[in-house]
Amino acid sequence: MHNDIELSWFLYFAAASFAIGLLGVLLRRNAIAVLMAIEIMLNAANINFVAFWRYGTPPAGEGPLTGVMVALFVITIAAAEVAVGIGLVLLCYRRWHAADVDRYDTLSG
Amino acid sequence: MRSESNHVNQSLFVMISALGLIGALGTVLARNLVHAGLFLVAFFFVIACQFVFLEAEFLAAIQVLVYIGAVAILLMFAIMLTRNVQGDDTTTAPRGVIIPALATTLGLLFVLAFGISKTAAWTQSSGRPAIEVVKPGEKPSARALAVNEMGRTVGNELLTRYAVPFEVAGLLLTAGLVGAIALAHRDALEEAAPPRGVAARTGGSPNGQGNGEAVLASGPVSSSTPSSGV
Repeated sequence: MHNDIELSWFLYFAAASFAIGLLGVLLRRNAIAVLMAIEIMLNAANINFVAFWRYGTPPAGEGPLTGVMVALFVITIAAAEVAVGIGLVLLCYRRWHAADVDRYDTLSG
Repeated sequence: MRSESNHVNQSLFVMISALGLIGALGTVLARNLVHAGLFLVAFFFVIACQFVFLEAEFLAAIQVLVYIGAVAILLMFAIMLTRNVQGDDTTTAPRGVIIPALATTLGLLFVLAFGISKTAAWTQSSGRPAIEVVKPGEKPSARALAVNEMGRTVGNELLTRYAVPFEVAGLLLTAGLVGAIALAHRDALEEAAPPRGVAARTGGSPNGQGNGEAVLASGPVSSSTPSSGV
């Protein structure tokens, strides 16, 4: 039974995806590209939740679906975050006529 | 037979994961934002495939519906609405950022990989807990029931154990909906008379909408005189 996909494979994939998402957040100037990179990071975290749920045993009083439920709530929050984030980006685009995050520097003295 | 299918699983996992990493890299590095969005759709689909590998097929369906069906389309709309930045040089990073960003990313990746490889419980596991085959007339275990009938189990859990988080999530979605509409709503007055907001700012209009207009309209005024801020 050692031929099964190991837990660490999922963890390595999630870690690599998370690192790529972080690279996108740091590297991109376009606000929508930053939102997309944040989505990559959230999905990587979801992989970890579900992998640990499948490979571990949930604690006694927590029900049989711990990691899956957390992943569902993460998906919910990510959807709300994207909706509000895109509203903000469109608002800023109308004001500055640019979607670049480094143009939104009104608050920096 | 069993180990053969596991080998197939392993090679499939490696190929699909490689596709997913390519999709993520394409999202991050593509100059054209529409291409980046399409790479992101590929990445979301690979995540759904990973959920299938983890025997969470319900979550895979949710992933396809919510992320590919809603989030990616929403991002596409936003890309199209902010069209003039597509493909030009403003989407690339400034020179001084690239090296620190790469160093941070590689450092994080190194730390995560080091932690994973040093945790014996994660690397030397003897595979996932098996789902037993349920014999007729026998009550399946909670885990087998959860994996085999995940949709029903998720519904039961949402309305019993996770009832409060479920309501909070609904409240959050409502707040997100209202907030997104309120943010992106275009005022006719704001278009017609921009200087009116400046008067509202000094006057201190009591209702929230007046204040929002004041903040909105003060942007172009203050940006036309950049030195006055400091």
